[in-house]
Amino acid sequence: MRKEFARLMLEMGGKEERLIVLVGDISVFGLREFRRNYPERFYNIGVCEQSTISIASGMALAGLIPVVHSIAPFITERCFEQIKDDFCYQGVGGNIVSVGSAFDYAGLGCTHHTYSDIAILRSLPNTEIVYPASPKEFELLFKQRYDNGKLTYFRLPEKKHTLALEESQINFGKGILIKEGEDISVITTGPQVDNVVNASEILMARGINVEIIYIHTIKPLDGELIINSALKTKRILIVEEASVRGGLGDEVSMAVGHLQGISTYRMGIGDNFITDYGTYDEICKKIGLDRDGIANKVEEIVKK
Amino acid sequence: MDEIKSLRKDAVDMVYYSSEGHLPSALGIIDLIYILYKKILKFDPKNPSLDGRDYFILSKGHGCPALYAVLADVGFFSKEKLKTFCKFDSMFGGHPDRNKIPGVEASTGSLGHGLPIGLGIAIAMKILKKPNKVFVLIGDGESNEGTIWESAQVAKNLSLDNLIVIVDKNKSQAYSLDYDYKKIWTGFGWHAEEMDGHDYKEIEEKLKMLLNSSSQKPKIIVANTVKGKGVSIMENNPEWHHKSPDEETYKKIVEELR
Repeated sequence: MRKEFARLMLEMGGKEERLIVLVGDISVFGLREFRRNYPERFYNIGVCEQSTISIASGMALAGLIPVVHSIAPFITERCFEQIKDDFCYQGVGGNIVSVGSAFDYAGLGCTHHTYSDIAILRSLPNTEIVYPASPKEFELLFKQRYDNGKLTYFRLPEKKHTLALEESQINFGKGILIKEGEDISVITTGPQVDNVVNASEILMARGINVEIIYIHTIKPLDGELIINSALKTKRILIVEEASVRGGLGDEVSMAVGHLQGISTYRMGIGDNFITDYGTYDEICKKIGLDRDGIANKVEEIVKK
Repeated sequence: MDEIKSLRKDAVDMVYYSSEGHLPSALGIIDLIYILYKKILKFDPKNPSLDGRDYFILSKGHGCPALYAVLADVGFFSKEKLKTFCKFDSMFGGHPDRNKIPGVEASTGSLGHGLPIGLGIAIAMKILKKPNKVFVLIGDGESNEGTIWESAQVAKNLSLDNLIVIVDKNKSQAYSLDYDYKKIWTGFGWHAEEMDGHDYKEIEEKLKMLLNSSSQKPKIIVANTVKGKGVSIMENNPEWHHKSPDEETYKKIVEELR
């Protein structure tokens, strides 16, 4: 995804003169072609993420379109107040494109994990949250939203999903119905959609037909798609690589909260730090975010 | 200057009638802001978003009664409107809101934000090849914020010669911190100067000198000020930092500013 970010910035740099890329001492090599072509529009501000957000705000106030790129916990959780005051309250637009979502930097430990970026940013007015887990999604959604007067957060995961999506399916603010079913609606985001699809195949053999909705835009959420699914299945499970407190799960719960007789369940990062190291897949397995963990959870819910 | 006495009275009125606001901070910087708007900055009060304007950001936003008084004086809005200060539906809050007040370039309040925002505008002016200058007024207390020193390094590295920072050194934090800012900023690679923040002639001369300097460095000037300047009971008296005068005190202040 980081390569797609570099490629897209190079493409957009040629089309949009107001686009400025600011990085926090990462991806400097990857963005070398952008820097070579547009040296006056590339800034490695350095390891000072809070000031970088404010600097980007100043650029936006002067009519430019900043794209700030760094590692997720540092450019979101660390900079919460700068994002709040200098973009959201100021009322100017810009883009944050992070890498290292959730526990992508598995071996580097908790300081490099991001559990709360979605939760904190969705609480701010004038924000949009996009979690594209394929290069084509990032390209299309970035092009749709990079110049919209809001602070748009693109959370890029390391792992891509393997869904074969048509371009016409990828629209900002719209969820994608991946599979119809009637026993439970599994709403998921990011690369976890692959595990959900794989789990649904096991579950079919166990007599459980799962409906799957894939969400790339967490805020604003496609409430209509989710409500219609919930009214059909009466059960919702949200699967995400983020804190179960405040992430997509909360956004979905808000959307269906007024409906009678709908049960919602969540899988994600619980109320603990993940202090293991190893690999992304090992951590997924540990917290149940894999094919079998999801299948077992769905079965437990449906057979209650 | 009688005119600035009258603006001091405007600031006092705002805080007295609303029982809100940081009056001594405002009184300490009002001379600086007055000279900026009267002698230094390019702007058009009838067209606040004038393309060729210079930018001024009050990073220590709590000093805003001074900014409001000066902006009214130079014609961005009527002085009459200042009476609404901090009322429910007023455009003038205890910190300035750019989306409400003509002439305010950035909404400030939380300290340490205005300088990096100004830095971003200064970079933008370079990218857009515009000659506009960017002035940012920060406080010495505010200078404890890490973003001030992050900005110090970034502005130096980018040779932002279109950025001029004024430090309001009122030493109200003198109990804990008192630094030689001129020396420190020089060490950070800036062109640093110092002045009396209440000497109108010196303020004008030094700011013009920085404005016309051919140095490629970002510029900073340490303004030695007296917090509460012009109102003797408030001068260097920490009790008044966030306090409004009662009626009797107000009458005495008005007499002093007559």
